[in-house]
Amino acid sequence: MANKKDMNIWKRLISIRGMGQVLTVTVGLIALCIIFAFINPSFYSSRNIGNLLRQIAPILIIGIGQGYVLITGNIDLSIGSVVGMSAMISATLMTKGMNPWAAVCITVAASLAIGIVNGILVSNCKLPPFIATLGTMTVARGIAQIVNHNYNTDAIGNAAQGFRDFFYYGSTAGIYNTIWIAIVLFLIFNFLLSRTRTGRYIYAVGSNIEAAKLSGVNTNATVLTVYIVSALCASVVGLITSATAGMGAMDAGTMYEMYAVAAAVIGGISTLGGQGILLGTVVGASIWGVLQNGLQFAGAPVAIRNIVIGTIVIVSVLLDVVIRVNRPKRKTESAGN
Amino acid sequence: MIYLNQAKTRQVININGYAVEMSHISKGFPGVKALDDVSFTLGQGEVLALVGENGAGKSTLMKILSGVYTKDEGEIKVFGQAVHDLTPKRAQELGIAIIHQELNLCSHLTVAENIFLGREIAHSGLLDDEKMNEEAKKVLDRLNVSIDPAAIVGSLSVSRQQIVEIAKALSIDVKVLIMDEPTSALSAEEVEELFGIIRKLKGEGCSIIYISHRLEELEFIADRVIIMRDGRYIASKVFKDTTIPEIISCMVGREIKERFPRISCERGKKIFEVRDLNAGALVRGINMELYEGEIVGIAGLIGAGRTETTRAIFGADPKESGQIFVDGREVTIRRPADAVKAGVVLVPEDRRKDGLCVKLSVRENIALPNLDIVCSPIGSVDRKKEHKMVDETIGSLDIKLPNAEVDAASLSGGNQQKVVVGKWLARKSRIVIFDEPTRGIDVSAKVEIYNLMNELKRQGIGVMFVSSEMPEIMGISDRIIVMCDGRITGEFSSGQATENLIMEYATKFESKYVRKQAV
Repeated sequence: MANKKDMNIWKRLISIRGMGQVLTVTVGLIALCIIFAFINPSFYSSRNIGNLLRQIAPILIIGIGQGYVLITGNIDLSIGSVVGMSAMISATLMTKGMNPWAAVCITVAASLAIGIVNGILVSNCKLPPFIATLGTMTVARGIAQIVNHNYNTDAIGNAAQGFRDFFYYGSTAGIYNTIWIAIVLFLIFNFLLSRTRTGRYIYAVGSNIEAAKLSGVNTNATVLTVYIVSALCASVVGLITSATAGMGAMDAGTMYEMYAVAAAVIGGISTLGGQGILLGTVVGASIWGVLQNGLQFAGAPVAIRNIVIGTIVIVSVLLDVVIRVNRPKRKTESAGN
Repeated sequence: MIYLNQAKTRQVININGYAVEMSHISKGFPGVKALDDVSFTLGQGEVLALVGENGAGKSTLMKILSGVYTKDEGEIKVFGQAVHDLTPKRAQELGIAIIHQELNLCSHLTVAENIFLGREIAHSGLLDDEKMNEEAKKVLDRLNVSIDPAAIVGSLSVSRQQIVEIAKALSIDVKVLIMDEPTSALSAEEVEELFGIIRKLKGEGCSIIYISHRLEELEFIADRVIIMRDGRYIASKVFKDTTIPEIISCMVGREIKERFPRISCERGKKIFEVRDLNAGALVRGINMELYEGEIVGIAGLIGAGRTETTRAIFGADPKESGQIFVDGREVTIRRPADAVKAGVVLVPEDRRKDGLCVKLSVRENIALPNLDIVCSPIGSVDRKKEHKMVDETIGSLDIKLPNAEVDAASLSGGNQQKVVVGKWLARKSRIVIFDEPTRGIDVSAKVEIYNLMNELKRQGIGVMFVSSEMPEIMGISDRIIVMCDGRITGEFSSGQATENLIMEYATKFESKYVRKQAV
C-alpha cells in the first residue's frame, strides 16, 4: 500500500486493470479527431462539438448496458428493438394525452420487463444468450409496431415539451441534457461495476461462472441484473429518441445492438467475458460518434459509415484476440500432439 | 504393426544414441527466470521421471521440448540431430508428443474423430469415417483397451479420455511421449492400466518422460528420475539406486520429516449431520456426521460419488431428498450461497474449472465470497477492508506472489490451491469440505495444506476431505468413510483402517453392478 502512493499518477493509471487498452484506444480517438479536423476545420466548431457529444450520448448509454452484458460473457441483441419499443410506447401514450412522466414510467417498466425476460431465459432457462435475445429482439420490435396499430405516431405535442426538453432540447449549465443523462448514467453504472459487490460478481460470472457459483455468488441474479441494466439503458435511449423526433418511429433503434457492441468492444471489453472497464465504452462510443460525424462532414453516405464502423469493430476484436494470444504466460496450450 | 517396425529400425540405426538431449536450456518470462541452464538426456526406450515442486520448471521445460514455448538459450538434439526453431508442428514431425494435465480433446466428437483431428483420412474431400474408425481401432487394440472408436469422447471416463490422448499420440508414430501428471485423475486400477501401456510402449522402443507428484507410483515404471528445483537441474538418479525420501529431500532442498503431520484433538460435539441424502445415481442414501476436532476422509474409487456427494451437500447440484444439520439446527441448502450462509464451504476438485476466476486478480478471487463482510450497507466495496482481509489471508497461508493484483492464472498449482482455500478462511465457516485438496500440487505444498487442515481441526472447525490418494487418507483422517457406487459402504477410525480394508469396501459394488463390471 505504501509504495503505491509513491508511484506517479501515470503508473497508477496503467496499473488499473484494463486501463492499458483504454489508453491505446484513446490514442486512436485523438488521431481520428486530428484527421477529421484536417479534412474539415469546422469539425471543431463549438456547435459541432455540442452536436457530436449529443450524438455520442445515446451510444454511450446503450454501450454501458451492452458492456455489462458482455462482461458476464453474454450478449444482448434485443437492445435496438427495446429502443424502438420504448420510443413507440412513450410517444403513443403521450399522443393519447397521458402525462409525459407517467408515460415515461410505463415505458421504462415495459422495457425492464423485456430485460427480465432476457435475464430469466439466459440464467434460469440456460438458453444461449444469442438465441434468447434474438427472440426478444423480434418480440420487442413487434410490440413497437403493434402499440400504435402499425403506424408511426403523430407528433407528441406541446404538452410534452417538458419531456422533450428534459431528454434532448434543454441544457443545464451550458451542456445539453442528453449529455448530462449519459454522464450521470455512466457515473452510476461505473461505480456499480467497479466499486460494488454486484460489480465484482459481474466480473466473476464472466470469468468463471462455475467458480463464482461455488463461491456462493447468486449467478442467476447477477445475469438477471445485467440484462435489466441493459434494458434500462435501452429504454432511456428510446425516450431520448422520441424526445428528439417529437414522435415515435417504429424502426427507431434499428442496428443499435450493433452500435452498442461496437462501443463496448472498441473500448476494450472482451466478448469472452470477465474483462474490460466501462471507461473504455466512453472512448468506444466516442470513436463511433466521431466517425459518424466526421464521415458525415466529409460527405460520406450512411452505407459507407456502416461499412467503416463494422470493419473497425472486427479489427478491434481482432487486435484484442491477437494481443491475448501473444501475451506470454497465458494458458495457450496448443495441442502438442 | 507398421509403427513397431519403424521403432525397431530406428533403434538399430541409432543404437547407443539418445532420443533427446537438451543442454544448457534457459528460459525467462517477464520478471521470472523459469529455467536456468538445465541439461538432461533421455535414452531410447527409457522411462524418465521428471519430478520437482510446482514452479520447478518441469512443465516449462517440456513445453520447450514440445515446441509450445521457445527457449532463450541452449541446444536441443533429437535423435542426435540439432533442432532449431521447434514449433508444435515440427515437434510432432520429430515424433514428440505431449499429453497435458488438462486433456485436449473435443468432447463432442468421437474417439476416432479426435484421434484423426487435423489429419482426417479423406477421398476427394469426403471423409472416410469407416477407414478412420478402423485405424483408430488398430491403435486402441495395440494398447489392449476396448474403446469403441465411434463413442463420443465426452461420454467416456477421464481415464478413458486419457487413453484416447495416448492413442492420438501413438497414431502419429510417437517416439518421445511426454506425460504431465497423467495419473492425477485416475483410480488405482486405471493407473495400473496406464502403467501397462507405458511398459508396452517402452518395450516398443518409445522413450517416455513422465511428470508426476505421486512418487510412490514411480517405482513401477521409472528407470531414472530427474529432479528439478526453482528452474534448475538438481540431480539425476537411477531409480533402483535411490529412495523416495532421498528424492523428496532433493526436491525441496531439505528433509521433510513428516509427510503427514497429525495433531490430536479432543473430539467435541456433533457439528454437522447429513441424513438420507439422495441426488442422482451417485448419491444414494448418504448419512454422515462430523464432530468438532476431527478430520473425516472420504475414500473410494473415481466415480464412487464422492465429489457428487460434496456438491449435493453444498447445493451446487440439486438434491432429491435429505436433511442437513449444522450445530444441531436443520438448514435448507438449495444453492451454494445458502451453504455459505450456513457456514458450510467447499474447496472444489478442479481449481481452474470450479475454484478460480483465472482472469481476475488474486485479491478479487479471495474477496469474492467475502464481499458481504467488506461491503458498506449500500454494497460498495471498502477497498481498505478488502486489502486488509486479502493481505491477512495471503500472509497466514504464505501464498507466494509478487502482489495481490496478479492474475490468479499466473500462480503455480500449489499457490492457486491456497488461494481457493484462502477465500473461505476469511469468514467464520463451521464446516470446510475439501475435494482432492492436494491434487497436482507438490510435496511441500501438500504438507502446507495438511497443516492448514490440522489448524482448522484445532479451531474446532469440521473438516471433511475427499481424496484418491490412499496414503493421504490414511495419514490425515481421524475417521474414514468409504464410498462405492453412490453409497457409503464402510466407516473406520484411523486406527482400524488399512489399505486393504479400504479397498475392499471401495469395491463393494451391489451385485448387479458386479455383473456389469465383469462383462
